[in-house]
Amino acid sequence: MEEFDYEKLGLLCGLEIHQQLDSKTKLFCRCPNKLQGTREPDFTLKRFMRPVLGEMGTYDEAMLTEYEKEMTIVYEGYNDVICTYELDETPPFECNDEARKIAIEIALLLNSNIIEEMHVCRKNYLDGSVPCGFQRTMILAKDGYLELENGKKIGIDILCLEEDAARKIITEEKTNFFRLDRLGIPLVEITTKPDITDPMECRECAERLGLLVWSTKVKKVLGAIRQDVNVSIKAGTRIEIKGVQKLDWIPILINHEVSRQLNLVEIKEELQKRNLKEEVLPEKPIDLSKVMAKTKCSFIAKGIKSKKKLYGINFTGFDGLLGKELMEDYRFGTEIASKVKSISGLKGLIHSDEDLKNYKFSDADIKTLKDNLKTKQGDCFVLVIGNKKELDKAFNVIINRVKYAFKGVPPETRRALDNGNTEFLRELHGGARLYPDTDSQAIINYNEEIKVIKGDLPEYPWDVIKNYSKKFKIEERFIKDLIFTGNLTIFNDLIKIYPENPTLIITTLLETSTALRRDGKNIENITETDYKDIFTLLKKKEIGKEAIEEMMSLKADSPELSIEQIKEDLKIESISVEDLKNIVNEIVENNLDLIKEKDMRAMGPLMGEVMKKVRGKIDGALVSKELKNALQIKLKELK
Amino acid sequence: MTENLKGYKGKGKELLEKNKIEIWDIIQIKTSEGDYEGIVLPRTEYSAPDYIEIKLENNYNIGINASDIKEIKKIGKKEAHYKIPEKKFPTSKNLPNIILFGTGGTVASRLDYTTGAVIPSFTPGELFSAVPELADICNLETEIVFEILSENMRPEYWQQLAQKVEKAANSGKEGVVIGHGTDTMGFTAAALSFMLRDLSIPVVLVGSQRSSDRPSSDAALNLINATTVATSDIAEVVVCMLGSSAHDYGLIHRGTLVRKMHSSVRNTFRTIDDIPLGIIRERKIKMFKKDYRKRNKLETKAQTNFEKKIALIYSYPGMNNEIIEFYVDKGYKGIAIAGTGLGHVSTEIYNSIERAIQEGITILMTVQTLHGFTGMNVYSTGRELINMGVIPGRNLLPETGYIKLGWVLGQTSEPSQIKKLLLENIAGEFIDREIPIAFNYNIDQLLKDKKL
Repeated sequence: MEEFDYEKLGLLCGLEIHQQLDSKTKLFCRCPNKLQGTREPDFTLKRFMRPVLGEMGTYDEAMLTEYEKEMTIVYEGYNDVICTYELDETPPFECNDEARKIAIEIALLLNSNIIEEMHVCRKNYLDGSVPCGFQRTMILAKDGYLELENGKKIGIDILCLEEDAARKIITEEKTNFFRLDRLGIPLVEITTKPDITDPMECRECAERLGLLVWSTKVKKVLGAIRQDVNVSIKAGTRIEIKGVQKLDWIPILINHEVSRQLNLVEIKEELQKRNLKEEVLPEKPIDLSKVMAKTKCSFIAKGIKSKKKLYGINFTGFDGLLGKELMEDYRFGTEIASKVKSISGLKGLIHSDEDLKNYKFSDADIKTLKDNLKTKQGDCFVLVIGNKKELDKAFNVIINRVKYAFKGVPPETRRALDNGNTEFLRELHGGARLYPDTDSQAIINYNEEIKVIKGDLPEYPWDVIKNYSKKFKIEERFIKDLIFTGNLTIFNDLIKIYPENPTLIITTLLETSTALRRDGKNIENITETDYKDIFTLLKKKEIGKEAIEEMMSLKADSPELSIEQIKEDLKIESISVEDLKNIVNEIVENNLDLIKEKDMRAMGPLMGEVMKKVRGKIDGALVSKELKNALQIKLKELK
Repeated sequence: MTENLKGYKGKGKELLEKNKIEIWDIIQIKTSEGDYEGIVLPRTEYSAPDYIEIKLENNYNIGINASDIKEIKKIGKKEAHYKIPEKKFPTSKNLPNIILFGTGGTVASRLDYTTGAVIPSFTPGELFSAVPELADICNLETEIVFEILSENMRPEYWQQLAQKVEKAANSGKEGVVIGHGTDTMGFTAAALSFMLRDLSIPVVLVGSQRSSDRPSSDAALNLINATTVATSDIAEVVVCMLGSSAHDYGLIHRGTLVRKMHSSVRNTFRTIDDIPLGIIRERKIKMFKKDYRKRNKLETKAQTNFEKKIALIYSYPGMNNEIIEFYVDKGYKGIAIAGTGLGHVSTEIYNSIERAIQEGITILMTVQTLHGFTGMNVYSTGRELINMGVIPGRNLLPETGYIKLGWVLGQTSEPSQIKKLLLENIAGEFIDREIPIAFNYNIDQLLKDKKL
C-alpha cells in the first residue's frame, strides 16, 4: 500500500450503513421477514423498466444508462412469503410499527433529532432491484453524532427507514434474476457527515456504527449489514464505493481510491502539459472489419467471420496514458474497459499501450491498424469487437470517458472488489429521483412514544465491551465478537447459569460453533434454549465440558431431538471420581510394559486410553490429574 | 393569502400567516430539537393540522409541528414551472394515421418531484419523447376530449366520444386509441360498442394500472400494444391491456364482454363468458377468435341516443321494496338488476317489481355471478319474474346490461321494440354458446390450441 499524507490531500470520508431490522413482518406489507436462502422459487415473473421523465422534462443520467443496457428482469418468488405488494400489484399497507420503533431506538442512540411527521418518499431505481422501480424510504431522524474512542464526534447526517431491495441472484446474458424474499424487509440507512479524515478512523467509525446497531433488535446474520464508503480528496471528486463487505477492507479501499484519484489528476495535468484539447478527440470510431478480416489474431478473425465488427479509434497524443497504473494492477485502460463492459456488455478492450504481440497481431496487422486509424508516434488507439449496436454503445462510453480525462475524476458509484480495488458500477444518481409517495399517508412520531423508547435505551456497546472485559476477565475482542456474531444475549443468559467459566461459554459460542459450521453442520438448529439446557447439565455436572461439541453437532443434525434426549443417546452419564479412579487404575495395570519403557511419558498414550472410556462424562482436567497421580504411584512402586 | 397556503390548518397555518410565509418559500426553522432548512410545500387537504411540510435540501419531505418551532425565517423562494421539451413526432407515408383521444387517464406523464404530482404529457411530441417506439407504429395525432377521473364519466361523454370516433373514421383515420382511466373503462367500452354499431376502423381503449410516473409502469407497453391493435383489421371497440402480471403480452377484449376484475393488478381486465379476441406480443397480433368485424369501407355511423334515467342495482338478501319504489317514484325508465344465481331477487320485492313494470319501467335481469347465463325457467321464482315481464339478459354482464338498457331506451320507447332490441345481439354482447374453457381460460393453453 502506498503511503499518503491524507491531511495534506484533504481526504474526507463518509459512511452509509444499511442494516436490516428484525421485525416480525415487512415494512409495508404483512409478509414474514424471512429470507429463504437457497430454496428454489415457486414462480417467476418477467418485467421491463423504463426511465421516468424528471421534473425538468429530462431523464436522470443514471437511469438512462441503466435503460440503455436493455436488460430484462426476472423476479423469483415464493407463494408463502411473497404477496402482490412485492410484485408491485397492490398499493402499500400501513407502515410497520415495530420496525419504526426499532429505528427510533437506533436514532436516539445516535443522538439524532427525530422527525415529527415522516413523509414516505420514492427513490427511483432502474436496475430492477425493486419491482416498482423505486424504493419507499422516509427520513426518520437527522443531525446526530457518534463518538469515537478518542472523543471525536462524527456527525450523523440522516437516518432513513426504508425497504430493502430484492436479492440479485445472477445475470445471464441480458437478463437479471432477482429473488423477492429480501424485498421490503425494513432497513435503516444511516449516513454520516463527511467528518472522517483518515482511513483507520473510517474503519473505527464503521465498526462502532455496526456495534451500535447490533445492540438493538436488528437482523444479526451475514449480509444483514452493508456499508458504503464515500471518498473524496481536494483535487479529486466524491466517489461512492458500494458493497464493502468487511471492516478490514475499508482502509485499503480508501487508500486505493486516493491513489486512483491522484493518478487521474496526474493524467489531466499530463494532457495539459502535452497541450492536448478535448475538442480534437474523434467523435466516431472507424470500422476495421474489412481490412482486418485476415488478421493473425484468431479471436478477431473468427469474430469478423461470424459477422461481428471490429471498430477502432485513435486518440492523438495519448501514448502511454491508457497504460498508466491508477491502482495496483489497474490501468486507465482497465478503467475504460470495465465501464464498457458494464454498459455495453462487451468484454475485451484492446489498446496500443498494451503489448499487441500478446494478442498474436502480426507486424503487418499492426501496420494496417495504424494506417487505417492514422495512428502516429505519440498516439494511442483502442479496438473493440462486437455487434454494431453494442459497439455504438461501447464507443460512446470510450469517447466520453477519455474526454473526461481532461477534467480529472468523474463522479460515479463504484463497486468494491476483494483485492481492495473498485470498478465502475453506475453513474452517480442525481437528486431528481426522490419524490413523494402518493400511495401513502404521512406518519407521525409522537413525543410520548419517543420518550418511552428513550427511557429504555440499551447501554452503548463499547461500554458493554469494557465492563464485561473487566468483570469476566476476558479480552475485549471476544466481547466484540459476541456482539458481531449476535451472541451477546445468549452469553448473558449462559453466564447466569454457569458463572464459573466465562471463557468456556465464549469458546462454545464463537469457536465451537464456527468449527461445526465449517464442517457443514447446520448450527442454526441449535437454539438459545438448547445452549441453556447444555450449560444447565454442565452446571449439574451431568456432563463434562468435553461433551458440548458432540451434543451441538448432534443437535445440528437432528433438530427434532431435545438436549436431554441427545444426552441419553450419547449415553452420557457422569461418573464419580471413585469410578474414574478405578478406570485409571485398571488401565495403568494393563499397560505396565509401556510405563516401564516410557516412564512419565506414558502419560500421553494412557490419557487417550482413559478418555476413550470417560469422554464427556467427567471433566478432562480431573482425568489428567487422577492419571498423573496413579502413574506417579505406580512408578514409585516399580522402582 | 389563504389560497397560497393550500391544505394548511391549525397552528401550522397560523404560524405561516403570521410570518408572511407562502408555499414555495425557502425557510429556515429553529426548533428545540434541531434546525431545518427547506421549501414550504403544499399540503393535502386531509393531513394532520399544526404541521408545516418542507422539502429538505436532500429532497426528502418532512413535517414539523408548529408548536415546537422557536424561530422561522424566509430566506428565498423557489417556485417550479416545468414544461416537457417537445420533440417533433416523426411521420412517414408508409405508416397508418392513428388518432389518440385523451379522457383524463395518464398514459404518459412526467413528475413534479416536489409535490409528487403527475403531470400528464399528451401532445404527440411529448408522447414521442416518453414512448419513442410509437413512431415506428403509426403517424400519431392527439386530442384531449376531456380531463376527468374515470369514475366521473357520464353518458354525455360517451356520446361525445362516439361522435369523435365517427368523425375520425369518416375523415380517413385508420384507427382510434382512447386513453381512459381503468375504473370505468368497461362501461365506456360497452357504451361505444352499442353507439358504434356501424364502425369501419378499430377503436381501442387503453389505460394503465401502474401510473406512468413509475419505472415499472405498464402504460408505455399498453400504449404500444393498443396503437398496434388500432392499425389492425379489427373494426370493433376493444380494450387492450396487459394479459399477465409480467410485461409480456397484451390481450384484446371485446368491448361488451370485458370487465375489470381486480382493484390493482396489471392484468385486471378479463373477457367474461368467452375467450379474448386475441393476443398481442412484440407488436404481433394473433387472433383466438375469427368472428370479429373486419376493417371495412362503409361509413361509420354513431347512434348516440341514450336514456339517462336508468339504474343498475344489486340484488342482496334483506333487500327492501323501497329500493325499487324509489326509482319508480323518481320516474326512472329502466332498471338493470344484477340478480343472484341464475337471475333471482328476493320474493319480498316482487310487489315493487310488479308495480314498476305496470308503470312502464323496463326491468332487465343480469347475473351477479358475472359468468354464465340467466336461467329464469329453472326455478318457479324465475318463471314468476318472467311472467311479470322481467327481461332475462342472458349472459350480459351487469354493467353491459345497464349500458344496453340505456342505449335501447334511447332508440325506442315502444315496449315490444324495447324487448326485441334487448334480446337482439347488437354488439357481440351475447354469446351463442359458452365454450367450456371460457370460465377459466389460460393464455398459455390458448396459444397451444391450434383449433382456435
